[in-house]
Amino acid sequence: MAAETLKPHFFYILLALAEGDRHGLAIARDAQALSGGSVRLWPATLYGSLDELRARKWIEELPEHPEDESERKRYYRLTRTGRAALNDEADRLARLARLARARTRLGDVR
Amino acid sequence: VNGLYRALLALAPPRLRRDHAADMEALFTERLAAARTNGRAAAAGVWLRAAADLLHARAQSWRAERVPLTVYIDERTTIMVGSDLRYAWRALLRQRSASVLVVFMLALGIAANVAVFTLVNGLFLRPFPFPHPDRLAYINTAAPKWNLDVVGINYPDFDRWTKDQKLFDALMTYQGGAFTLSDGAGAVRVRGEYITREFTKVLGVEPILGRTFTAEEDRPKGPPVTILSAALWRDRFGGDRNIVGRAVRIDGAARTVVGVMPPEAAFPGDVQLWVPMAGDPAQAGESYGGDAIGRMKPGVTIEQADADLKRVHQPIWDASDKDHVVTPFVKPLHETFVADYRSAAKTITGAVALLLLVACANVAAMMLARALARRREMGIRLALGSSRMRLLRQLLIENLLLAAAGSAIGLVAGRAAVGALITLIPDQFPRWAVFAIDVRVVAFAVLSVLMTVVLFGWAPALHAVGGDLRSAVGSTTNGTTGAPRGRRTLWFLVAGEFALSAVLLVCSLLLVKAFDRVRHTDPGFRSDHILLTTIPLSEETRPKADQWLGFWNDLEPRARQLPGVDAAGVITCAPLDGCHLGNFFIAENALPRPDGKNPVVLTRMATAGYFQAMGLRLREGRFLADGDIASRALTRDDITNGRVPLVIVVNESFVRTFWGEHANGVGRRVKFNWTPWMTVVGVVADVKHYGLERPMRPGVYLPNNFNPQSTMTLALHTKVEPSSVTASLRELVHQIDPEIPLVRPRTMETLIEQSTALRAAFSWMLAVFASLAFVLAIGGAYGVATYLVTQRTREIGIRVALGARTADVFRSVVSSGVAVVAGGVALGLAGSVLVARQLGTALFGVSTHDASVLVPVTVVLVGTALLANGLPARRAARIDPMKSLRTDG
Repeated sequence: MAAETLKPHFFYILLALAEGDRHGLAIARDAQALSGGSVRLWPATLYGSLDELRARKWIEELPEHPEDESERKRYYRLTRTGRAALNDEADRLARLARLARARTRLGDVR
Repeated sequence: VNGLYRALLALAPPRLRRDHAADMEALFTERLAAARTNGRAAAAGVWLRAAADLLHARAQSWRAERVPLTVYIDERTTIMVGSDLRYAWRALLRQRSASVLVVFMLALGIAANVAVFTLVNGLFLRPFPFPHPDRLAYINTAAPKWNLDVVGINYPDFDRWTKDQKLFDALMTYQGGAFTLSDGAGAVRVRGEYITREFTKVLGVEPILGRTFTAEEDRPKGPPVTILSAALWRDRFGGDRNIVGRAVRIDGAARTVVGVMPPEAAFPGDVQLWVPMAGDPAQAGESYGGDAIGRMKPGVTIEQADADLKRVHQPIWDASDKDHVVTPFVKPLHETFVADYRSAAKTITGAVALLLLVACANVAAMMLARALARRREMGIRLALGSSRMRLLRQLLIENLLLAAAGSAIGLVAGRAAVGALITLIPDQFPRWAVFAIDVRVVAFAVLSVLMTVVLFGWAPALHAVGGDLRSAVGSTTNGTTGAPRGRRTLWFLVAGEFALSAVLLVCSLLLVKAFDRVRHTDPGFRSDHILLTTIPLSEETRPKADQWLGFWNDLEPRARQLPGVDAAGVITCAPLDGCHLGNFFIAENALPRPDGKNPVVLTRMATAGYFQAMGLRLREGRFLADGDIASRALTRDDITNGRVPLVIVVNESFVRTFWGEHANGVGRRVKFNWTPWMTVVGVVADVKHYGLERPMRPGVYLPNNFNPQSTMTLALHTKVEPSSVTASLRELVHQIDPEIPLVRPRTMETLIEQSTALRAAFSWMLAVFASLAFVLAIGGAYGVATYLVTQRTREIGIRVALGARTADVFRSVVSSGVAVVAGGVALGLAGSVLVARQLGTALFGVSTHDASVLVPVTVVLVGTALLANGLPARRAARIDPMKSLRTDG
């Protein structure tokens, strides 16, 4: 598989978008909530990341905006490749979690 | 609230800012609002975090954009400055010799400016090395009725001032002296000061060891103590930290060292040790001598201090000086000590400013010529779509490169020049003056360079680019000379250079001539083969006047016997030695004085041998003879009772001043107000006592026994090199008394040289500046002429093709240039007469329109201008029409 390690803020952005289309501000709020407050995306980091993810074609900007929101906001959607990348990262984290559990259990025994 | 964040967004990469500014601001606002509920520190943290976030993003974007897909505005600016630099560098290299010339001329002007500004700064701008130097005031007394600007300080007066004044923190009075410091190894003579105890408070200095004098020590018959300078402590006592409390022998008596002072305490200069003034306030009518300094309270002006001092002096006037003969005055301290150098420094500064102007005009001319020559290049670049701003910027960068190189070289050269200038006049500058290149000097130089570049570098650039496109491209392609406006400016600059050079040349030649005249002034005595040395006797070991007289009467004939010595004599006050003892005389049948003032008369006691040794010239009667000098000192009684016949020798000025222009002196009678009449037995030629260029006062010579002195100066006329006699003389004095030192053995030639050193340095510097300006002006004229001829190549080619003769071409090229130069020189000569008038007494009587200066300057300037124009003209006249018509520019 050899998936590259995803930057944490990329992971949380993708994770937020996995639930549905969102604008930047909502992504930042979601990321903070999902990480239990530990991941705070600052403006330049957030929008810089969004630009980069867009360049990687992992997310795309919605051509039209949902009617209930103000026109200025840009909405983003997870692409198929993006979803795959998120899955890869989730698998990697799961393996890592299993490994960690195994090790700590060994530690407990000792 | 978020205006600030919007400003911060400038830190963000431009693309991010363009696409997401509103969203980023919204997110930040939310974060800030959340943090605010947690207090100010949290809000501040949000600001910091946000700024860090933006900077981080910027750094990331730089790293990411090694291969930029889009060119951003900021990046484009950077790239273009880089390319401008490269382009400018190439442009400068292309015209290598012209560029080197410009840099050289800028460097020259800057070096001269840095050097002179450093000297001026050291003397006039840099404050004394004391805290709050602006609060230090010089105090002394003047006696306008006696024609004396500075009388000296009378201790009882000083004591009264100190007690009653209200506007000073402290006052001090000091008097320089020379002391003999002796120990087992021998005796040395050192310079020192009698000083009142509050001097540390006035100057704001602290002893580096021990303490200052106490009130107990600074009174008559107080304990004998001394304070050493750091230098004396180090050199003579090996920096022994246990020196305080030790006794040293000064002038034959023991004094206890109570402290050691840092170097800056040596004011006004070269003080090796201090002893208490120990003045007696009760001793009325004591002598006037020395100077005083006061530290004014904060906020007190010189005028207020002066008024305060006159207020406290009122009781003294009322009690003993109803006519207000002696008046105290207060002046800024700095002003008092730099007065000597002020006029010289002003002139030099002015000359350097002129030199810088010439250098700038020259650079401007070259820049303009370059810019005009590149009109076509500029025109083409404009036509191809380059913006005018871009071209201007590129020219500016070229000029800045030149300026940077010029100022760097100029600063280094200026530094070297400062060193050279200081060694040139080592003894003439006061010791407290520090000559270091400081930030202000560098700022001054850089500023002048920037001004030059902006004013003179850009103006031509605007000129070149400002015209309309068609003429810019067309002017040089159709073979006309083009740009008449630019040509006029060029000639105007050259004319200006010549005018300024003429001013400098005339002034410096006038000063050189004045210097020559000063040097060849008849001093009134023999100046070669004379050795002078001052010999001080200790009044401790020889308390009586008879003992002093005995010593001199013993020394003189023995000194005459020394090998290589022709004649020997002793005097109280030798010429050019900075010494003066003035008195008032009453002359029998004197003419009424036009100003009603009784002139001060220089009074000297001398032996008969002195007149022979110094080669004084007799005008009338005879010199003093051995028979006039009894073997014992005259007492006041001897003199007032008229028991001995009193004789005196006067100088020509004395006769002229008291009895008129063609009067005889011998046989007439003069007296002090307390003596009987003394008969004039001889009249001698005036001696330039105060300096070769200073006027001489009336002066008299009294026999040595009239009022014997413990310190006198021995004058030897030698058959051999005078300084070679010093060793045998020292041995002779050592034989008589090993504790007696020789003070400053010096040849008369050295004294004369020193007395004219400042003027020599000053004239020399000005001559150098003038020559530099001259060279620059010639270079400028040549450069401009060459440029104009090059521009006219095609035109001249057509003329020659149409049958113009070589001589016609030559004349047409030369005439315009020479006319311009002649105009400049004429203007300069007129100006120089006005400027030279400002030199005043520095000219030493040389006329401001001295023909022997003005004529050569005119001839040389116009002649060289002819040459500078002639060389390119000759080239032009030889132009091969076929070749020149084929060139397209």
